[in-house]
Amino acid sequence: MAEETLLSDDFLRQLINVGEVDIVVGLSSHNDAKTIEPVVGAIQAGILKCFPRERVAIINADGGSQDGTTELVAKASIDDLWRESKVYALRTLHSISVRYARGPDPSKALQTILAAADLLRAKACVVISPESTSIEPDWLQRLVRPVYYDNFDLVCPIYNRQKFEGSLVRDLLYPMTRSIYGYRIREPYGSEFAISGRLASDFLGKGIGNEDWGKMGPEISITIMAVTAKYRVCQSFLGTKAPSSRGAHDVVGVMRRTAGALFSSLDSNFPVWSAISGSEDVRIFGTAKEVEPEGARINRKRLLEMFATGVAQLEPVLRSILSPSLLSELQRIAALGINEFDYPSELWAKTVYEFVGSYHKSIISRDHIIQALVPLYRGRSLTFLTENRNGSAENIQRREESLCADFERLKPYLLEVWADRK
Amino acid sequence: MSLKLEAGWYKNAIIYQVHVRSFFDANGDGIGDFAGLAQRLDYVQELGVNAIWLMPFFPSPLRDDGYDIADYYSVHPSYGTLDDFKSFLSIAHDRGIRVIIEMVLNHTSDQHPWFQQSRSSQDNPKRDWYVWSETDSKYRGTRIIFLDTEMSNWAWDPISKSHYWHRFFSHQPDLNYDNPAVREEMWRVMKFWLELGVDGFRLDAVPYLIEREGTNCENLPETHAIIRDLRKRIDQEFPGAMLLAEANQWPADLRPYFGDGDEFHMAFHFPLMPRMFMGLRLEDRKPITEILQQTPEIPPSCQWCLFLRNHDELTLEMVTDIERDYMYDIYAGDKAMRLNLGIRRRLAPLLDNDRRRIELMNGMLMSLPGTPIIYYGDEIGMGDNIYLGDRNGVRTPMQWSGGWNGGFSNADPERLYSPPILNPVYGYPAVNVLSQKRTSHSLLSWMQHILGIRRSSPVFGSGSIEFLYPANHRILAYVRKLGKETILIVNNLSSAAQSVELDLRRYKGNILIEMFGRNIFPRIGDLPYFLTMGPYQFYWFRLRQI
Repeated sequence: MAEETLLSDDFLRQLINVGEVDIVVGLSSHNDAKTIEPVVGAIQAGILKCFPRERVAIINADGGSQDGTTELVAKASIDDLWRESKVYALRTLHSISVRYARGPDPSKALQTILAAADLLRAKACVVISPESTSIEPDWLQRLVRPVYYDNFDLVCPIYNRQKFEGSLVRDLLYPMTRSIYGYRIREPYGSEFAISGRLASDFLGKGIGNEDWGKMGPEISITIMAVTAKYRVCQSFLGTKAPSSRGAHDVVGVMRRTAGALFSSLDSNFPVWSAISGSEDVRIFGTAKEVEPEGARINRKRLLEMFATGVAQLEPVLRSILSPSLLSELQRIAALGINEFDYPSELWAKTVYEFVGSYHKSIISRDHIIQALVPLYRGRSLTFLTENRNGSAENIQRREESLCADFERLKPYLLEVWADRK
Repeated sequence: MSLKLEAGWYKNAIIYQVHVRSFFDANGDGIGDFAGLAQRLDYVQELGVNAIWLMPFFPSPLRDDGYDIADYYSVHPSYGTLDDFKSFLSIAHDRGIRVIIEMVLNHTSDQHPWFQQSRSSQDNPKRDWYVWSETDSKYRGTRIIFLDTEMSNWAWDPISKSHYWHRFFSHQPDLNYDNPAVREEMWRVMKFWLELGVDGFRLDAVPYLIEREGTNCENLPETHAIIRDLRKRIDQEFPGAMLLAEANQWPADLRPYFGDGDEFHMAFHFPLMPRMFMGLRLEDRKPITEILQQTPEIPPSCQWCLFLRNHDELTLEMVTDIERDYMYDIYAGDKAMRLNLGIRRRLAPLLDNDRRRIELMNGMLMSLPGTPIIYYGDEIGMGDNIYLGDRNGVRTPMQWSGGWNGGFSNADPERLYSPPILNPVYGYPAVNVLSQKRTSHSLLSWMQHILGIRRSSPVFGSGSIEFLYPANHRILAYVRKLGKETILIVNNLSSAAQSVELDLRRYKGNILIEMFGRNIFPRIGDLPYFLTMGPYQFYWFRLRQI
């Protein structure tokens, strides 16, 4: 049992005091003192506004913060001890922190939250990023309601994004998840999501902690597990997502936790995804809000430089990953000037699929394969930026749809590569 | 005979609230009476209470169950005579039971001769005994209490062609306490009953005695001055007699009614009661501890009166909107259960007839600081009839046995003042005194037991309270202390078993003696004191340093 090793005696004592709950709100923190207070405040407001009668506990899994993060979370409890409280609540609201490790480990943090939710018999467990300073109280309702009232098992977020934000999701994770698993989930790797008690329990028992892909990217692993095991999945519009400061420049790390987890999931799920063609819509709750456009400050030349340098410097690695014709095509476009540069969507889809094939075969270290994808992803991002610099929202949407269509159309190519590499 | 009135007797009292009409019918006319009540005082005594609070028994058209008094100096003929009352009083005192009677100061019936004279002409000497106006636009800042029936606090009188003021039903005109003659007359009324030997008054609707423009006409300084004057006269002429305030207000607004110990001796703690029900269903002590934390200190001679249910609806005036919505949804799913701003149900049906919850609520009633009041019939788990209109559904005949009319009356059933409860769950064949007396584990037997324990220690009535705040919010724990005696009370508000760790280090070295079974529990040490508790279980521990 995961909870036997996860839960310290002190944490268990705190959980006993919390008792059975309806909803667990989980946070995974590490030195988030600068942002966590307003986030917890918004969660608290959301609970009081939308779930005043439900039994709710805020559980913060902390990876060894040294900046007082855990104390700030504990302060957010609403109990009957005589102290200043700005809010009035029917019930006691427990807000507890547990240090699961001395350093941050997203997988272990999520495991801790889910184990707590499982023990407390929560009907819904919602995870919120402690960095989401743009959170509004209504986020809680938008995430929890579909689970709590409509029997969905997983609620993925949809954020209102600036047109050049979220390129990894848009260029890789969304089209690939969609073509592989057949569901149109816009944010398969959301930092906010909600899951049902049964999915949490199942995930805790089967997925996370036992497999590499779970360790590498627990959030996307939940999505994959939900769709492969036919849990009921939906999406909910949240609002504008504040850019994360943590790991913003660590593209390799993000790529490992997302694409790495996605690639890794394919091994065990081959019988499922290999039989899927096309994709289906996933129900969406709420409506998108208009996003005020902001001027994009992106250095296209720098992106091209990183792409070209990567293709050149990583040639020996890429040669082992990619087919000669594809590598040659990449080398050709790497030589283009900034105004002529074009990394077409079909070529990108084939690139990704050949990476998947090599990853499957582990022709070299899997981690090196993921790292080698990073400069190519930058090249694809450059093309997207160039194509959409002056594009309207509809044009961008059309191009995104076209990219996804290419990924779906080329899925037989993936199967071919998968078999060949085998 | 009069009982010796020791100062502060009310602090250690356990009060039984009863309506003469509903208790026992001795003359077979279908209506309870004083002779019947006197006959059943042995039951009241055996139950273990030591005071009775009687609802109004004065002559009245009974349009508000006697709260519309037409003569303050007599007894309603349906209930007997003044001599019957005196006889009842004497027997009660012989049994050590004090008698508190209702006194409706604020208003009379519109059938009272005073009002009839007052309305007869503008020159009548009694004209100023009531509050009259040519318009209905005065005192606009005053809320309407009976929202379901009244549109205004003013009513048009076609006889005197002017408006009269009424805070309750329009057939209950308010007396004018700005008139010294009214104040003097009402003192004469109280003196009359005190001279007969009653031990105290429950003064009805006291916040509303005085009206002033620009105010909400509640809790005004002039009202307090009137109370102080009455109290002073009582202390001088009838020392030991007790005044109990009915003022449905927030604790901070109630506090002035104790004055400096020179107004009321006791007042109902209205806001606590709904929060006990709320805490039980939320399985969270927060509503209870919060309201008690907000309850101000009162003078040492004063006392709160606690109750679970009474003759009125379970009032939800002193809760927030969100709390009221919750209470309605949880306790009054059927809209017929709702009346005014409250819920017209008895204790047992409110608690789904769950014996464990009934015991827990009574356990809290008996152990929180204050003088408890038990509403007649709740000690056997009587039900209600929400279809009887107004609050009559909680005022049905006492269920004495499974026989004719539940043992309440020998009259033809059709003649009873109210149909008894007949349904298979709460009806008198299933729930009655006789059958419960025969089993040692009946609710009645249990009530006798807990009242006996409550009476065994003055800590419950007069001791201080200190809340413990164990991290498990489903546990409501507190320590009551008086002198060298210390009692620890631990309540599990949850429907599931719970564990709890109590910080009892300051009582290190004491052993705990569970007061119901007298079993010894382990000695308190340095570590948190660990208890496991069954669903809705509660413990009363006496701490002993041995």
